Amino acid sequence: MFSKKMVLIVGVIILIAVNIIIISIASRRHTTIGFERIAISFVAPFQELVTRSIDFIQGIWQHYFNLVTASKENYELRNRLNQAIEENNKWRELELANNRLRNLLNFQKSITKRVIAAEVIGKDPSAWFKTVVIDKGKADGLTRGLPVVMPEGITGQVIEVSNHYSKVMLIIDRNSAVDALVQRSRARGVIKGESRDQCRLNYVLRKHDVRVGDTVISSGLDGVYPKGLRIGLISDVIKRNSEIFQEVTITPFVDFEKLEEVLVVLDLQKHDLANQQ
Amino acid sequence: MIYCYYISVSLILVILQTTIIPHLPLLNRCYDLLIPFIIYLGLARPTRESIPCVLFMGLIMDNLSGSPFGLYITTYLWLYVGVRGITKMLQVGQRLLIVALLVVAGVLIENLIFFSTFRILESQSRLSAEAYHQVVYQVIWAICTGPLMLLLFRNMQKRLNAGLKGFFNRQDKQKGTV
Repeated sequence: MFSKKMVLIVGVIILIAVNIIIISIASRRHTTIGFERIAISFVAPFQELVTRSIDFIQGIWQHYFNLVTASKENYELRNRLNQAIEENNKWRELELANNRLRNLLNFQKSITKRVIAAEVIGKDPSAWFKTVVIDKGKADGLTRGLPVVMPEGITGQVIEVSNHYSKVMLIIDRNSAVDALVQRSRARGVIKGESRDQCRLNYVLRKHDVRVGDTVISSGLDGVYPKGLRIGLISDVIKRNSEIFQEVTITPFVDFEKLEEVLVVLDLQKHDLANQQ
Repeated sequence: MIYCYYISVSLILVILQTTIIPHLPLLNRCYDLLIPFIIYLGLARPTRESIPCVLFMGLIMDNLSGSPFGLYITTYLWLYVGVRGITKMLQVGQRLLIVALLVVAGVLIENLIFFSTFRILESQSRLSAEAYHQVVYQVIWAICTGPLMLLLFRNMQKRLNAGLKGFFNRQDKQKGTV
């Protein structure tokens, strides 16, 4: 009665219709049968595992790249910071050197035109002697016996000269002697070094008025140092009844521990200060 | 070659002592760094090698220092002779305690010679309390660093000897093949 073809077409139509009806009913009710739950319960852990693993790997990957980037950035920033610190330090050093040299220059103008600035390049290897090596020598016009000064006061005397370097004996050396005057009372004496931070003013008669805090200057009578240069302050005075001379201790104005640049007075004959007083 | 090595070590020590050490706050009261080297020469090296080196070091120091010329040469020669004498009497070997004592003795002998010179040259010479402190600091530094410096010199010498031996062996082989 019905051909096979007709039955197939009708069957397909019915199946499509039933399918549509089921889908529409299911979409309205949102009910699930047990299979979905079983499927979810079975698959979900693996999904979770895989997803988390991927997330984990992704996280590591991203963190790694972030870290590498941050590390590179950090390295660069550190380098820049170091450069900046170095630059800053260089500027600060330049500023300090500039100030010192400006001081020296002002002092040089006030003292004479025939002076030469020198840099201290080495100190005495022995703790018992106080000498320094400067970077100027015979080629720059230096000779033995020339006085070495600073804006603060007398520093020492050139005792050895090579072509480009010289050795300077500081006034605190035990072999040094400077003829000096107490500025206020004009009391005379000889300043002797003791190879420590202080010197002694020897041969000051007991009758002379010498007080703590008095300034001591060079007298110019030793033929080495120009007259009137500052040397130091009197820090201690001891008068003993049994002795002719007083014991006078001097603290020099120059800080010999921080000596970096000095001025060597080249031409003593043309020195202004020697004739000023 | 060995003299070049000695001269280099001496100059490095002198430059250290005159330029870097005075600016370091704790080390500025350190002892004469050439003393351990002289003791090392006295202990471990033959006289014909050591004497020129000791004289060279003394000459350099005398020139750089404000001391009367010859003071360092004298001090170093006496130190060297003393160490040679002690090694003949005692078996020093590598005992750290004896080595430390030798360096301390060296420091004290140097200071003694200096003080005696001051006494002879300056009639009014007086030693301040600071001078005694200076000696105490030097002795402490000598105890702490003296043996280490001697070990350093010994190791450097060993390496140098091994290097020179290898170099000459290679040259001999090359000559043999040619």
